[in-house]
Amino acid sequence: MIIDHPLLGPRDAAEFVYLGDASLIDRPDWQDEDAARQFHDYLHVRDNPAGEHRELWFHEHGDRSWLVVTRNTLTHEIIRVELARDVALSLGRGR
Amino acid sequence: MSDATLAARTPLDAYGRTIGTVTLAEVAGLALVSAAVPHDGDEAFAAALADGFGAVRPASGDSATGARPATRVLGMQPDQVFILFEAPDPDQAVPTAAAALGSAAYVTDQSDSWAVLRMSGTGVRVALERICPLDLDDLAFPEGRVARTVMEHLAVMILRDGPDSFLLMSPRSSARSFRHAVELSVENVSGP
Repeated sequence: MIIDHPLLGPRDAAEFVYLGDASLIDRPDWQDEDAARQFHDYLHVRDNPAGEHRELWFHEHGDRSWLVVTRNTLTHEIIRVELARDVALSLGRGR
Repeated sequence: MSDATLAARTPLDAYGRTIGTVTLAEVAGLALVSAAVPHDGDEAFAAALADGFGAVRPASGDSATGARPATRVLGMQPDQVFILFEAPDPDQAVPTAAAALGSAAYVTDQSDSWAVLRMSGTGVRVALERICPLDLDDLAFPEGRVARTVMEHLAVMILRDGPDSFLLMSPRSSARSFRHAVELSVENVSGP
């Protein structure tokens, strides 16, 4: 499997480490009223789609960047690759 | 007090060997530091790199030469470069780099952590393409390109520093295994 890194171009999947669902970058606010409930969902509740899935990959043997990869779990086709930093910034995060 | 003295050893014991048309040679004694850029410090870092090393800040995957002898700035990741340079005394790598960059970067010594091997000669890419997962074609990986990747399960930084010359850096702790992997790959393409 080849992941087309936004900065470095196509790289072998062996250079990457998989983490999991991309929603992990949206950590809940621990001061919210229902923080316990939110953290329960954040940690344990996942969709398990047969089709497009957004997931986090770490380029460990590369430029050490976190990527948000949109992958089809049925065909392994990689539809989109973004820097997790850009995704977080677009969600209004400071860094 | 004992008058015993310790002799410095290089990661590959000054290894050098020519197999067919490919020459492998350890490069020792160079200073290597990582320079991490503080948050929102990109402009200050580029200016400090130009002042201190006479080099343009390279993007990830690119490298730049500088005014000091043997200087090569390697763009390793978005907020960090590695700087390879000749220091009068490699033990002075960090003080030298810190003096050159001031407070524009967080500098860490890497000099003794990496085994550095130059692989050169015609046919070098034929030997490399068997262990290196990157496309090393002239168009995809021209002179000056640099990358961190994995060869035979070992982490490697690879810099193309000539048409038929590559500088390979791998962690010192697994340097002998790395040398063996590279050597075997060259032997495999060099005929009987």
